[in-house]
Amino acid sequence: MTSPTVIHSVGLPAPRADAIGKVTGGATYTADLRLPGTVWGKVLRSPYPHARIAGIDTSAARQVPGVHAVLTGDDLPPNTRFGRRIVDVPVLAQGIVRFIGEPVAAVAADDEDIAQRALDLIEVEYEELPAIFDALEAIEPGATLLHPDVMNYTGLPAPLERPSNVVTRTVWGTGDVDQGFRQAEWTFDYTFTIPTVHQAYIEPHSCLVRIDEAGRVQVWASNKAPYNLRQQVAACIGLPLERIRINPVTIGGDFGGKGSPMFIPLAYFLAKATARTVRIVLAYAEELTSANPRHPCVAQVRVGANRDGTIVAYQARLVFNSGAYAGFKPAGFLPGAQHGGGAYHVPHCKVEALGVYTNRVPCGHMRGPGEPQSIFAFESAVDRVARDLGLPPLEVRRKNLLRDGETNSLGHRYQDIRAEDTLNAALEAAGWDAPKGKNVGRGVAICERAPGGGETHANVTLHADGSVVLHTSIFEQGSGSYTTLQQVAAEELGLPHDAVRVEVWDTDAVPFDTGVGGSRVTRVATQAGAGAAQQARDLLLQRAAQTLGWPREQLTLAGTRIRRNDTGETHSWADVIAKTGSPVVGGASIKDMGPAPVTGFTAQVAEVEVDPETGAVKLRRIASAHDVGRVVNPMGIRGQIYGGIAQGVGYGMMEELRMDDGRVTTASFADYKIPTMADMPEVRIVLLESESGVGPYHVKGIGENPNAPTAAAIANAVEDAVGVRIDDLPITAEKVYRALRAKRQ
Amino acid sequence: MTTQPKKARVSTTVNGQPVDVLVAPYQSLLEMLREVLGLTGTKEGCNDGNCGACTVSLDGRIVDSCLVLGAEADGKRVDTIEGMARPEGLHPLQQAFLEEAALQCGICTPGFLVAARALLEREPHPSEERIRLWLAGNLCRCTGYDKIVGAVRKAAALDGAGNGRAAG
Repeated sequence: MTSPTVIHSVGLPAPRADAIGKVTGGATYTADLRLPGTVWGKVLRSPYPHARIAGIDTSAARQVPGVHAVLTGDDLPPNTRFGRRIVDVPVLAQGIVRFIGEPVAAVAADDEDIAQRALDLIEVEYEELPAIFDALEAIEPGATLLHPDVMNYTGLPAPLERPSNVVTRTVWGTGDVDQGFRQAEWTFDYTFTIPTVHQAYIEPHSCLVRIDEAGRVQVWASNKAPYNLRQQVAACIGLPLERIRINPVTIGGDFGGKGSPMFIPLAYFLAKATARTVRIVLAYAEELTSANPRHPCVAQVRVGANRDGTIVAYQARLVFNSGAYAGFKPAGFLPGAQHGGGAYHVPHCKVEALGVYTNRVPCGHMRGPGEPQSIFAFESAVDRVARDLGLPPLEVRRKNLLRDGETNSLGHRYQDIRAEDTLNAALEAAGWDAPKGKNVGRGVAICERAPGGGETHANVTLHADGSVVLHTSIFEQGSGSYTTLQQVAAEELGLPHDAVRVEVWDTDAVPFDTGVGGSRVTRVATQAGAGAAQQARDLLLQRAAQTLGWPREQLTLAGTRIRRNDTGETHSWADVIAKTGSPVVGGASIKDMGPAPVTGFTAQVAEVEVDPETGAVKLRRIASAHDVGRVVNPMGIRGQIYGGIAQGVGYGMMEELRMDDGRVTTASFADYKIPTMADMPEVRIVLLESESGVGPYHVKGIGENPNAPTAAAIANAVEDAVGVRIDDLPITAEKVYRALRAKRQ
Repeated sequence: MTTQPKKARVSTTVNGQPVDVLVAPYQSLLEMLREVLGLTGTKEGCNDGNCGACTVSLDGRIVDSCLVLGAEADGKRVDTIEGMARPEGLHPLQQAFLEEAALQCGICTPGFLVAARALLEREPHPSEERIRLWLAGNLCRCTGYDKIVGAVRKAAALDGAGNGRAAG
């Protein structure tokens, strides 16, 4: 018998592990689950941005046939709140409402229509209070305090000196900016404004909660951080962790938005009140008006630079409007805000981020929390400084770009800096030096992000029928982690990737998993998948040595066979397992929490054509280069990049969750426009592979980077095309038209 | 106010199977499929006709099933994602979406597939521009669309991609 061919999986394009279910309609999302006796939960929401609840009359609602329970804040224990870190979000308002859309009462009924009819019969008496919508107003001394008890809130990342609407203040940087500004030949001040946008996953938030026969709380939910969710729900409803189980289910998109308890604690209280399984699925208008969109930001920036374009100092004050609550952020603040100038060597840098309470929809995480805002400010500022100094922006960028051995704007020193290579690759893909027509412009933006750390677990089980099952604690939301796990396990076993079946554990199986986010999954999952497969392989070979009487040190695994190298004999491993009775199980528990030694750069070039009469911007092309370490799945990584760019295009040119006195006025996809297939420009992707990643496969992260620099690249391209600068996202024809008119006058 | 409206009897054909159901007069075709018939392959996204996730074929025309009343399906033929695969295997569009990784979270995928099938039934070899225009009513937030365009083009290049079961 000839020796089996070695099969590789890592680095080759792999169709998704879950594709069959998704192309046939068989994949089960939370809203598709059907359990007998399920009732619908629906939420009555506040029509006022800030008000005292004087009374709620639910008597008529309770009498509607088919209604099983009606709950208000009075029916819950005092101070029933949840939070991912700062515990400040009421499950149902108790006394005060702080945004239009805040849950005030809830109904559980036989179907959705009955629940809605009952909600319509609930009478709430409100006494309006003064409301604040603008974060800059809310931070003024003497502004109405929206959370008078904030000092006592659980989970504040830093204690507050006095009650304030500024719930978090975080400062990052390096050097001494005051000294830097004194040294610099010029200083420039700019202000950038960035609107609220929504993650706009197509699956609205949904959950199913059942209290089972043993009294355990069973949860199915569109949530990508189930172990954190279990902790947050347990703390909120007052049950020990082991009484709660989060069950895996297909998640229909996340982009950072699906990591909070949202209305899951409420569904628990409804399940308790009705003794029925409760399903809550948000209507999309509720998504857009009351879920946890990306923070708007006012970025006040000062740059100190020399005549030759050297950036000596950078200072940014980023005012993030958190809305009514801060509990949707896992750190309490937005850690990505620090990364604005991460791709540059800036000797003196200070980034100050404020999280500010207002009476708007509470904001949460979206794809690089704080990064797209911070990078838009920094990368717009680089071009503005260049033009103010009369230098080409690319020259200023190159002059300050991070090089090996240097610390970046945060004082971090990474290994294997590839900023310039990445920039050059994007320029080449964009045809940077090709002649441009009239009113055509090109703009660059660059950023970096290191893969996040985390904890995850995996098992690989080899069965007597030759099947291989990988168990994971990750609940993926579309980003391709299951396929990555398949590939690394298959690689270690010498099998094609689709020989590995992925199954997902519920939260009873392992102590903890950090969840999807922070561009961490490829970093930790490749270690877990490979480690579990390696252990399974070693255990199998040991067992084969005993069973077949072959010397252990001569044995290798190759696909479906065990090979004895000294004789060339092979034997089916399935047969070894069949002979010995029990399956072979290898496991790996990975806690790789620290900062990564490497970062990943993304450089993008946008090419636009601007109509000087109307201001209409046609985005002709995005070229996007990525410093990715080794690629596990070329199809998967390109998907993440294409999708990120599409969100960046929306951020740059289309998307704004508009509000009028705290009321979201873009409450459907008819008004909240995200890019369609017809809106997308030509996209050219370059992957710069290297061995400088982390873990056994030298990987970096990709989830967040691709969406972060796009808006700045577009803004820079518009200025290159027609000489007007838009500092206020999104860059619409109207804004460009007004700027062109102002310039002509 | 609280009396249940009388349900209507709807006789329709779903994926080739005759179906008789009782549907409340206000229930959408999407609710009829998902809540009454338990066919949850058709997804609810926005429920106001803007995302395309609930796209089905009604007498050969694609509709947002959230904007059509279930009662309107009476006497008509409804084709959903569940009927797209053939007995011998996946429809060429399904196969191409799978091979080209033209899906990520997958919530929009059934709508894209049903809409793309309708395009290929009418125009077996559409241009890229035509594909982008035809499918502009289907939103996807994950993929950036390029791989979807590629999958439709791939399926179109195969003979008979437009001659799925629902074409008849």
